[in-house]
Amino acid sequence: MTVPALLGLPSWEFFKPFIVTGLALGGVYAVSGVGMVVLYQTTGVLNLAFGAVGAMGAFIAWELNNNTSLPDWIGYLACIGFGGVVTLLYGVAFGPPLAGRDALTKAVATLGLALILLGAMSWIWTDKARSLDLPTTNSGFEVGGVMVNWTQVIAVGFGVVMTVVTIVFLRHTRTGTAMRALADDREITATLGVPVRRVEASAWLVSGLVSGAAGLLLANLVGLDAATLTFLVISALAATLIARLSSVALTLAAGFIVGLVNAMVTPILSISQYRDMTPFVLATIALLWVSRKDIRVTGLR
Amino acid sequence: MHFNPFTARERPATAALCAIAVALLLSVSACGGSSGDKAGATATPGDTKASTTGSAPKCGLGNGKKASGTPIKIGAIVTKQPGTDFTDITNTVKAYYDCVNANGGINGKPIEYLPQPEQTDPAQIASLAKKLAESEQVVAIVGNISLIECAVNHKYWESKGYSVVSAGIAPECYSTPNVAAVNMGPRYSSDGAVQTLIRKGVKKIAFVQSNVPGTGYIEAGPKLVAAAAKIPIASLKENVPIQDANSAALKAVQAAGEGGGVVLNFTPPEALKILQAAQRQGLQDRVKWGCSTPCNTDFLADALGSAWNDKLFVNAELNLTNADGPDSQLYRDVLKQYGPKIPLGSFSQMGFVMGAITTKALLTVKGDVTVESANAAIRAVKDFKTDILCSPWYYGDAPLHIPNNVDRTTTPKDGVMVQDEDCFQISDAEPDIAKVRQIEQQG
Amino acid sequence: MSLDRPARIHAGVIVALLAFLVLALPSMLSAYWVDVTTSVVIYAVVALGLGLLMGRVGLVSLGQIAILGLGAWVAARLTYATSLPYPIVLLLAGAMSAVLGTLVGLPALRLSGLFLALITLMLAGAITVVLTTTQFPNGGPGFLGHTDSSLGSNAIRRPAVASSDTGYFRYTTLVAVLMFGVVVLHLRSKAGRAWAAIRQSEASALAAGVNITRYKLWALALASFITGIAGGLLAGSVGKLYIVQFPISGNILLLAAVLMGGIYTLWGAVAAGLLIKLLPALLDNWGLPPDLLTILFGVGILQVLITAPEGIAVQLPRDLGRLAGLLSRPFQRNQAAREEAP
Repeated sequence: MTVPALLGLPSWEFFKPFIVTGLALGGVYAVSGVGMVVLYQTTGVLNLAFGAVGAMGAFIAWELNNNTSLPDWIGYLACIGFGGVVTLLYGVAFGPPLAGRDALTKAVATLGLALILLGAMSWIWTDKARSLDLPTTNSGFEVGGVMVNWTQVIAVGFGVVMTVVTIVFLRHTRTGTAMRALADDREITATLGVPVRRVEASAWLVSGLVSGAAGLLLANLVGLDAATLTFLVISALAATLIARLSSVALTLAAGFIVGLVNAMVTPILSISQYRDMTPFVLATIALLWVSRKDIRVTGLR
Repeated sequence: MHFNPFTARERPATAALCAIAVALLLSVSACGGSSGDKAGATATPGDTKASTTGSAPKCGLGNGKKASGTPIKIGAIVTKQPGTDFTDITNTVKAYYDCVNANGGINGKPIEYLPQPEQTDPAQIASLAKKLAESEQVVAIVGNISLIECAVNHKYWESKGYSVVSAGIAPECYSTPNVAAVNMGPRYSSDGAVQTLIRKGVKKIAFVQSNVPGTGYIEAGPKLVAAAAKIPIASLKENVPIQDANSAALKAVQAAGEGGGVVLNFTPPEALKILQAAQRQGLQDRVKWGCSTPCNTDFLADALGSAWNDKLFVNAELNLTNADGPDSQLYRDVLKQYGPKIPLGSFSQMGFVMGAITTKALLTVKGDVTVESANAAIRAVKDFKTDILCSPWYYGDAPLHIPNNVDRTTTPKDGVMVQDEDCFQISDAEPDIAKVRQIEQQG
Repeated sequence: MSLDRPARIHAGVIVALLAFLVLALPSMLSAYWVDVTTSVVIYAVVALGLGLLMGRVGLVSLGQIAILGLGAWVAARLTYATSLPYPIVLLLAGAMSAVLGTLVGLPALRLSGLFLALITLMLAGAITVVLTTTQFPNGGPGFLGHTDSSLGSNAIRRPAVASSDTGYFRYTTLVAVLMFGVVVLHLRSKAGRAWAAIRQSEASALAAGVNITRYKLWALALASFITGIAGGLLAGSVGKLYIVQFPISGNILLLAAVLMGGIYTLWGAVAAGLLIKLLPALLDNWGLPPDLLTILFGVGILQVLITAPEGIAVQLPRDLGRLAGLLSRPFQRNQAAREEAP
């Protein structure tokens, strides 16, 4: 009798493939989580509409790809572009009036954007089975008995690249430093002669492009469904919470861990139905750990 | 800033004005609420607009005369919320009734159809039933389609004497005396899919369904069918919306094992996620795949693509939308004329059948169409033949109704669903099905 | 505690309104609208809890609907398992919800408000997953009390004195009034002053010796308690409960409604209840799609946060007052002109 069998668990052979699916899921969480933390570090806003923006872009891409004769890459560009434009517009319109408020208020405001987009999506694209095709999903390779497609690899790579670029950019470039200063204290930064509006606008634009690209990937990997993609951020938030919104690299790692644990619980049939609680459980454990040390974390206000 | 509501200067005025606004609002809605919604329950493109091109389809009396006079009110309760929209069914019922109204109505009188949208809130669903029965005083309830309506309202309909004609989902749609459905429901449809896979020689079944209310009732069906065929079965559930379809597909395939079969019971978007995940992992050939009737839609076949040709066996409660046959042709004509924006598919077919059944029943009423006479006529429906259904539909006086218990199997082929197996009976390893077959033989 | 004149008028208006609601309104409305109004009252209580947290203490909880579901579960289970009188059932449901609400808030309280909001959102997700699997009690056996057989289940019972729909509406209204009263008492007590101090500035409250953690926990407990009782009322209203009534999106829509109604006055909670339950019914009546409501709430959040933090309950009367002032100005000018004319 093997150890897993003694514990009433399936054998190792059964678990192995879930490591791969877990990493794939982790890639999904990591992309969303990193995308949100990046914007938080550059503007002080936790964009809870991250998923909704990407979702709407994906629907637009679907519409262009399936109901017009335009080539597919135009649809993909439209998705990314839509993400950039909507996020930029939001940032320019609602960023300055809320700039002096606390991080919580700014995050709640993005919920407003999420609801508007969610309502619009449900209205325009009624509930049907849709699929956003990407050419990279059709080919892949085998790892540990499981097929991995190139879109999953791209998603993981995208998350890693975003993390590295963000860290380097924020720390070693002038604009990056300006962004960090801006997120920390807008008024003082303005008095230092930093072109506040321009820096902010570029932060919003880049974040928007990222959410558009993420939307494209996630719509393909998870499914083209308005509610699923919008509320995917809740699971991804666990990764950001574990990293306490302060470290992009930690968010990336946390995303993978959450995805892995979630998938690894799948074959344990007795608790398999509760596996969607994984993000909450892990985030709570992380927060308990932090408050045990009784550090007052103010983050970036 | 102090928050004592009693000392701030503006607060009394605030409170007074608020109170007046509230009272006014309630009174207005109380009065305005009984006028009903004439434009149909939705503002989606499903609303009907009669077009004048081509020969007009003939429904009901078929005499081309416009109906006039006091309308006969018929009601329905339909789920319409962000993410779940069943109004294709009620929109088609309305389209059929519009056709009837243009062809002499019910012995001259037009039908006024009042579908009420609900957002799966039991309190709302219960109160909509009261609105229809007590405020609108409808004579019949036709076209109900809701995740929980049967469960919430069936006792109320019984107490008021309504024999509801519905497209059922909840178990109470198939086990109570006052509801009869034109479809088969998730349990029996899953049975049909399991039967099909067993016929194709699977050694074990993994039954996977969405974790929504009623899973215990639904999974009991496949378990009985598999036990009767001496095939082992594993019953799994997935929370929807599914975020990790890869793991879900993998788990299902593992549970089915070598030479096994997976039967899915999900809404089309969720089923699509699992099927696509299975395909991307190369799992579509590892086991045989089956699905209950929601998968029977060209939308899904199109999204799946040719990789799934003849690999997915879907239990279809109704005939193909492109079938030959007078009713199928009339169905397409009615949609073209009175519901051009409603897509062809099982939902609109169900709406059409419900409209046709009740029109035929109401036309037999002699004298005034009242709650008593209308529902007596509906209960008297017997041997309603249509090429859209496998076997004749009936209502009758019985403790339970499962009139649609013979199904087909379809499979995707190059973007559309085509027939794989002709009509076959749902297994009477199911006790309620056995009961119903007995009632059929006696009556 | 003598009341000055505006407060007396205010109290008088409230009493008159309540009398109208409880005595006269039910007979004026059809059965459908009585049910809608009952829902409005229940959700006004939920909004009261969240409004208390947001307006008086400055905390945001995105898990109140999940706690509502939990309270409903507890109340339902108790009505089947025991024959305790309904008020006790409600109190127990409230107590259990208070315990959970406090436990969840504990780890996040020392961190910034954003973390509390996020962890409560995670809580909403977790509770939803659990309730989806356990489902709600409906008279079945075992701890979970759920049976899938349609024949073995029966409705959740109502209080003996309020078994009719109209009676239940009155019962619900009275319980709601009690909840509002509890909140008012708190606001005038030491807790209310502590909350006001915390809202103003945590640093100066700390300097003044206020135990911030304790009072924040108290607020969380009170908000969860009220919400749990609302859950109990919900259980009795239709007699059946489904997880689809407590979706995750509901938490966000509740937040929107509470913000739009106004978090700084108790009337805002009433306005929020109307937004959540009356507005959808009206939209259905007018044949408009429910997606419109989602969009409207999204716009509402943005509008409130940017332009009118006090919400409809204050903004509307103020606007109406201003409008009245504008309209009456020509009359005042005529009056003045006539007085000046010899």
